[in-house]
Amino acid sequence: MEEINKELNEQIPDPEMSGQAQDAALESVQPQEGETSAAETSHEINVEKASKRQKIGKIFAYIGLYAFLTVMALVVLFPFYWMLISSVKTIAEYNLYSPTLWPKKFEWVNYANVFSKEAATIDLGTMFGNTVLVGVVSTILSLIVTVLSAYAFAKMEFRGKNILFGAMLATMMIPGELFTITNYITVTDMGMYNKYTALILPFLVSVFYIYLLRQNFLQIPNELYLAAKVDGTSDFKYLWRVMIPLASPTLISITILKMMGAWNSYLWPRLVADDGHQLITVGLRELADALSEGSTPNFPLQMAAVVLVTLPLLVVFLLFRKYIMRGVSRSGIKG
Amino acid sequence: MDEEKTLTEEPVLAEEVPEVLQSDDAAYENGDPVTAEEGGMPAEAQPGKKKKKGGKWQAKNQWKAWLYLLPAIAILAVFTVWPIINTIRMSFLDGFTYSAQMTHAKMNFGVKNFQAIVGDSDFLNALGNTMLLTVITVPVSTMLALLIAVGLNSIKWLKKVYQTIFFLPYVTNTIAIGMVFLAMFNIIGSWAGGMQPSSIGLINKLIVGCGGKPIDWINESSSKVANMAVLMIFIIWNALPFKILVLLGGLQNVDKQYYDAAKVDGASRFRIFWRVTVPLLSPMIAYVVITGFIGGFKEYNSVIGIFGEDMGPTGSPGRLMTMVGLIMNRIEDGSVKFYGEASAGAIILFLIIFAVTLINLYVSKKKVHY
Amino acid sequence: MKKKIGAVLLAGVMACSMGATLALAGCGGHVQADFDWPTEGFDVTKPVTINFLHTMGANLRSVLDVMIPKFNKLYPNITVKHESAGSWDSISGQITTKITNNTNPDIAYCYPDHVALYNSYQAVQPLDDFLPGGAYANMKVKQAKDGGYEEVPFGLTEAEVDMFNPTFYEEGKKIDDGTHMYTLPWAKSTEVMYYNKTFMKNNHLEVPETWDELEQFCKDVKKIDKNLYPFTYDSEGNWFITMCEQLGSGYAVTEPMNGSHFLFDNQQNRDFVQRFASWYKENGYVMTQELNGSYTSELFTEQKAVICIGSSGGAGYQVSLDGEAGNSVFEVGIAPIPQVKPYSTEKEGYDATYKPKMISQGPSVCIFKNDDPQKVMASWLFAKFFTTSVEFEARFSIESGYMPVLKKEIMEENEAYRDEFLGNTEGDSAIKALAVKCGIDYAENGWCFVSDAFLGSSEARKQVGRIMQGVFVNPDQLDKMFKDALKACSVYD
Repeated sequence: MEEINKELNEQIPDPEMSGQAQDAALESVQPQEGETSAAETSHEINVEKASKRQKIGKIFAYIGLYAFLTVMALVVLFPFYWMLISSVKTIAEYNLYSPTLWPKKFEWVNYANVFSKEAATIDLGTMFGNTVLVGVVSTILSLIVTVLSAYAFAKMEFRGKNILFGAMLATMMIPGELFTITNYITVTDMGMYNKYTALILPFLVSVFYIYLLRQNFLQIPNELYLAAKVDGTSDFKYLWRVMIPLASPTLISITILKMMGAWNSYLWPRLVADDGHQLITVGLRELADALSEGSTPNFPLQMAAVVLVTLPLLVVFLLFRKYIMRGVSRSGIKG
Repeated sequence: MDEEKTLTEEPVLAEEVPEVLQSDDAAYENGDPVTAEEGGMPAEAQPGKKKKKGGKWQAKNQWKAWLYLLPAIAILAVFTVWPIINTIRMSFLDGFTYSAQMTHAKMNFGVKNFQAIVGDSDFLNALGNTMLLTVITVPVSTMLALLIAVGLNSIKWLKKVYQTIFFLPYVTNTIAIGMVFLAMFNIIGSWAGGMQPSSIGLINKLIVGCGGKPIDWINESSSKVANMAVLMIFIIWNALPFKILVLLGGLQNVDKQYYDAAKVDGASRFRIFWRVTVPLLSPMIAYVVITGFIGGFKEYNSVIGIFGEDMGPTGSPGRLMTMVGLIMNRIEDGSVKFYGEASAGAIILFLIIFAVTLINLYVSKKKVHY
Repeated sequence: MKKKIGAVLLAGVMACSMGATLALAGCGGHVQADFDWPTEGFDVTKPVTINFLHTMGANLRSVLDVMIPKFNKLYPNITVKHESAGSWDSISGQITTKITNNTNPDIAYCYPDHVALYNSYQAVQPLDDFLPGGAYANMKVKQAKDGGYEEVPFGLTEAEVDMFNPTFYEEGKKIDDGTHMYTLPWAKSTEVMYYNKTFMKNNHLEVPETWDELEQFCKDVKKIDKNLYPFTYDSEGNWFITMCEQLGSGYAVTEPMNGSHFLFDNQQNRDFVQRFASWYKENGYVMTQELNGSYTSELFTEQKAVICIGSSGGAGYQVSLDGEAGNSVFEVGIAPIPQVKPYSTEKEGYDATYKPKMISQGPSVCIFKNDDPQKVMASWLFAKFFTTSVEFEARFSIESGYMPVLKKEIMEENEAYRDEFLGNTEGDSAIKALAVKCGIDYAENGWCFVSDAFLGSSEARKQVGRIMQGVFVNPDQLDKMFKDALKACSVYD
């Protein structure tokens, strides 16, 4: 039992760690940022009695530091660069014995070809549509379920509450692969094979999101709730009018993470969906199978498709950077 | 816009966080692991206790709470709880296939499914591959992430830009970026039978540029070492953001006094890193290592992204088989669906992950400084 | 601590209750029981809809759409809905899934391997009752005619059975233990050798008849241009199976020998795999579909390969047309695939007892069991109408390049088919006609074979294909590849 709990505490980052970690890590604009950071303060103490040599050493250290970070940043960015420039090359240029590092000619038609069934061999347009649909619907439904449950766990009293919550948290330890087999059987038995419901329903409830939101709800002072009760406000109204607006940062995190999950899922849709209902990641892999081999493979079209899948996520990330990082630092596992 | 919003919300959080923290910190300071673990629950339950004193409404409103929970419980019951039971059931029914179930064939209880999956020619390969991948990528990516996090923590200029860049791999689709790695390492044609490839690909261009010889990384005449190298680079690239995020978060929370003290003692940067930073960060390091191990044993998408459904280069399907791949192969379309063996595989995977996590926790209990 | 025990207990209770509900609610698709045919036969007044799942592309679907109204003239109460499952790779997977949730089609395109798989769900309707000598061989059905009805036999008559090319007809019986007939042949193809006639003529090369001659041919081609592939072989799996058949070395059989269905791991087979691997790895003589990543016809049409061994149904892809004039860039010839012994009587080593062997492929149709006998009977009428219709077989053959399943003499009654298609020697359909003609000849010589189909035979096909690929790429892995393949198959023993 103890072990189980230990693992639990690790899998679900406890508030101690993430609460602080995330705030500090993400609020790069907050006041403390204006001051000097830990390492630097110590430098400044020394500065008064520092000799010139030390100063030079410090400058070199900084140059080294920036060089290291820059090299690492370039390594991280390189695949993005290659993806972008490859997506606008002609097939002939891409397939040169020694590939060029900058396109000689910009072949924008690659992007149009992604949506041409003839060039891409697969109907990627439909798959994009499916993915957006599944993402939006499952996010909305998931938010509803999560909010209701989190509210019940945070603000309502009922027998067996802690036991139920503990049981739910316990399920988080089990790897998803263990559910996949039976869920696949359940879904086909229920006649949901190759239907949108099969892609949406099984993942509607995330215990982790319930946990996250419940923590947030708990932090909303009870006085507000009691005051609302005195005024005769119903639970539902209170939830809608007070709790949800106050918890909106967490809700935004959940929304984005859930959307990202749908956008990136592969294993499940591959199993339960087929032509017409397939999601984009599976389509991408089929595209790679269809266009990577033979004596004249078509990588530019593939890369254009990859750009179209990757770009929306990057844009969402740049817009909602803070919310994503907040959610991620707690969730631990990608997707 | 979002900046503004959070600023207004932050006070609410700020007020509450310390309270939760205090109770947890107190628990940890006891040094008693049991209390430390238990610390989480009571702290969370405390607000509830307060409430109990507050109102008498709860008794008559019980049904309402269950109503709120109904959708979640129903879905969890069908798609989470039932699978746990059914998977265990299927794994112990000898020769359980879908057609056997459909035709109501009689199946005995036994461990044949476990024997079958362990005896699969790919089992040892899959186990070896996943172990090798985790054992190498987790320490390397953790070390790199730690260096980057420490680096980020000691700069001001362009810090936000670097932070954003280092997080980018996280918000990508593993299959999609796997295809980019495929494109970078791919060669077109082959060296078989004295032929020449028609394109050696980007990475080989860079190697040739540095005076090396082109290598077959992922195509038909590639070696397993080369395949693994590509896969590991991809996995590390993919794993960095999360680790940097958590470690940097931890670093920014470290009390400056520790560093000041170390400075006064005249300790070198290197010494400070090992003697102050690493110990202080040890809970976060333990956390990223454990999640890294769990993720590593579930590796699947990275292999699919680069090598495709065959999980290996042309002519060597299954060379890069992973544990999840082994399970997925058994429920593949177009075959007799060996659900019993797949379930046995899933249970073995769970036990491995469980065991590895326990080992990790045991080690970190000895090494982690709270 | 108590709390946790409670939590686990509660989870358990939740699970049990759910398990019970699920067991009651959704035990999933069920297997149809055998049933008695209604004594009154097929009811031509009751509307019935049948679903046909196939893999036809748009051009072949249009042939179907032309023929369905003709079928409906005879049986106006049957509505035929048909759709394409996409590819051969996915059709069996789709159908198994559909069987499990009871949404399977009534009739479908199939390979014998697929039928063995569906049979493990007891989902396929044996056709024996409808064949001569079967229980319902003498049952009649009312066909619409001139506003009235005409009684015709419901099952296949002896005369109709005689229309089929026996090789193709018998395939339907080579599934599982061979006691039932499960399929009717729809259209067939075999593997043939396409060669670049122009290149061979210019370089004074002869068409190789045996593997030994082919090896010499490869040496000669490499002397001419070392960057050419002397030959390509599309399907690695077919290559292996065909070699087993030619050598008589054993591949996979329905009736287990020494406790196993799978006989392919033997010295003779190891020897030929090793030989071909050296052709690939050391000498660059050959390219295959999986190693190339796509059909090798592209190498052939681009004149990077001199010989291409592929399906006779894919002849249309073997010509490279000159854009404006529409003439082929080079002349394509068709010959039987290489054998272990020559087939020309004048060649040295000719053995009258040896019959050339080449694999027979192409779609058959199977009918699925259904609680509603009306649907099964409608599906049967549909299958019978199409497979025995000279007009349909001719149209389908012209459009697809597949061989008709009916005998040559029967097909030649159709003048358009005989003169305009088979007689045509110009344009891109000439090659299709040639491939069909050659295929028909080989089939009527009795040269085409099918391997046994049973639960596990599709795994064997997949595994031997992998052996070829794997050993070609890593010849030192020969022993391991054979052992692994046998092990992967052994779950079916």
